[in-house]
Amino acid sequence: MNKENWHVTFDVFRQKTCQSVHFDAFPMDVDPDEYVLDVIERIWAFNDRSLTFRHACHHSTCGACGMRVNGVEKLTCITPINQVTHDGGKVRVEPLRNFPILSDLVVDMGEFYLRLDDAKFAQVVTLDAACLPFEKKQQVRENGDFERLVDCLECGMCISACPVALTTSEYLGPAILAAAHQTYQQTNDPEMISLADKQDGVWRCHSAYECTAVCPSNVDPGWRIMDLRKIVLRSQIHKFFSR
Amino acid sequence: MYDTNPKPQEGAWLWLIKIVAGLLIVVIMGIHFWVNHLVAPGGLLSYADVLAYYQNPAIIVMEILFLIFVVSHAFLGVRSIILDVNPTKVVLRWVNRGLLFLGTAAILYGIWLALFISAKGAGA
Amino acid sequence: MKNESNSANLIRWFDPRHRQLGTWAFILNRITALGLTLYLILHLFALGNLARGPEAYDGFIKLAKTPVILIGELLVIAAGLIHGLNGIRIALNSFGIGTRYQKQIFIGLMIVVAACLIIFAKSMLFGH
Repeated sequence: MNKENWHVTFDVFRQKTCQSVHFDAFPMDVDPDEYVLDVIERIWAFNDRSLTFRHACHHSTCGACGMRVNGVEKLTCITPINQVTHDGGKVRVEPLRNFPILSDLVVDMGEFYLRLDDAKFAQVVTLDAACLPFEKKQQVRENGDFERLVDCLECGMCISACPVALTTSEYLGPAILAAAHQTYQQTNDPEMISLADKQDGVWRCHSAYECTAVCPSNVDPGWRIMDLRKIVLRSQIHKFFSR
Repeated sequence: MYDTNPKPQEGAWLWLIKIVAGLLIVVIMGIHFWVNHLVAPGGLLSYADVLAYYQNPAIIVMEILFLIFVVSHAFLGVRSIILDVNPTKVVLRWVNRGLLFLGTAAILYGIWLALFISAKGAGA
Repeated sequence: MKNESNSANLIRWFDPRHRQLGTWAFILNRITALGLTLYLILHLFALGNLARGPEAYDGFIKLAKTPVILIGELLVIAAGLIHGLNGIRIALNSFGIGTRYQKQIFIGLMIVVAACLIIFAKSMLFGH
């Protein structure tokens, strides 16, 4: 398809260790159908080799390239330019919120991954635990024990979008609670109940559902947190009456 | 650094109390508006009206329960907002004490006021 | 650092830019919660006038019927309706009901709020 290029200005967040924040403007000629990450890579290749950002698979599997594009969390490898701006427009690129910044667009996800371990996050789970109950399961045979890769890419965008995570780093956050929900569905592990039934667990959620809105996959953390609440309540009430 | 043992300062029961109190407030609020605007058109606008209203024991019980639900819901809610800003353990301990004291004082004050008004009405 | 979770960020709870409807519900819920708590405290103090006898209370009610206070009262009713009905949405969601339709439920409930407010405003400002 022969299309005219757009002239778009990329305003990129810059901050190196112990330095103050500023934005660098990069006027770019872009194909409106190409992805935001492609342009960021071009900026790095041809304009500024000191720009740092995370990326790997380029097909929404690794979850590395989550950034804020014009204020909204996006997986930049699957976000076309024409979805976020127009010819002559701007694209403001910032790192994820609620994580410490290491350099430019790179944030420190270390603690987030440790917390996923606490929720016994598994990459491959049974089909039942991997799927949301209201979603159609893709089964190759009628009966059989199937497993599949989970939907969560560990991109951290739900944590970045969560308004409660703005003020407390102790809140486990949507991805962790969704992982705990998934683990509980597969194993009925009571540790998941005690992980969730804490000050920094399911009760910190205030139903803004930003996590579900920005999730680039099919995790629906908002739904999972609410379902986990129901599970925790049922379990505590059951425990109380069976004393 | 990363805390592997999240603080247990809010759990299912406190949350459930807040939500149940909240739902009961909605129910009593409905009754309150119905009584005030349909049964007693114009509302309880004079001192004499209020005294007469408080002669019904069911009303006294309802108003006191309403106060308990509202204060519990409001103070648990305020505590929840404070928990959202990740207070230190020391700050939270003082927040707990302060809210418990103020909440109890508000409820006792309200109960005293309701009984005082009712006694005054009975004597009038 | 500005980017990290920090209790000083609390003002950003109320920033609706680039946010979804759920955050609007969260913001409204939080503002009304704080407003209603303040009102509860003022209300308890004001009712103290009842203990001070008929002159004090009737004088207070006369003051409460001035237009400025009436508008304030209408704001309290609006806050109560928004907080109460949105609270029902959150409670239902938390018991596993309607989570996937939380946006539609919120819009529906806010239409109910608007309708109730029109009725209350009509009766309070022009009814007597």
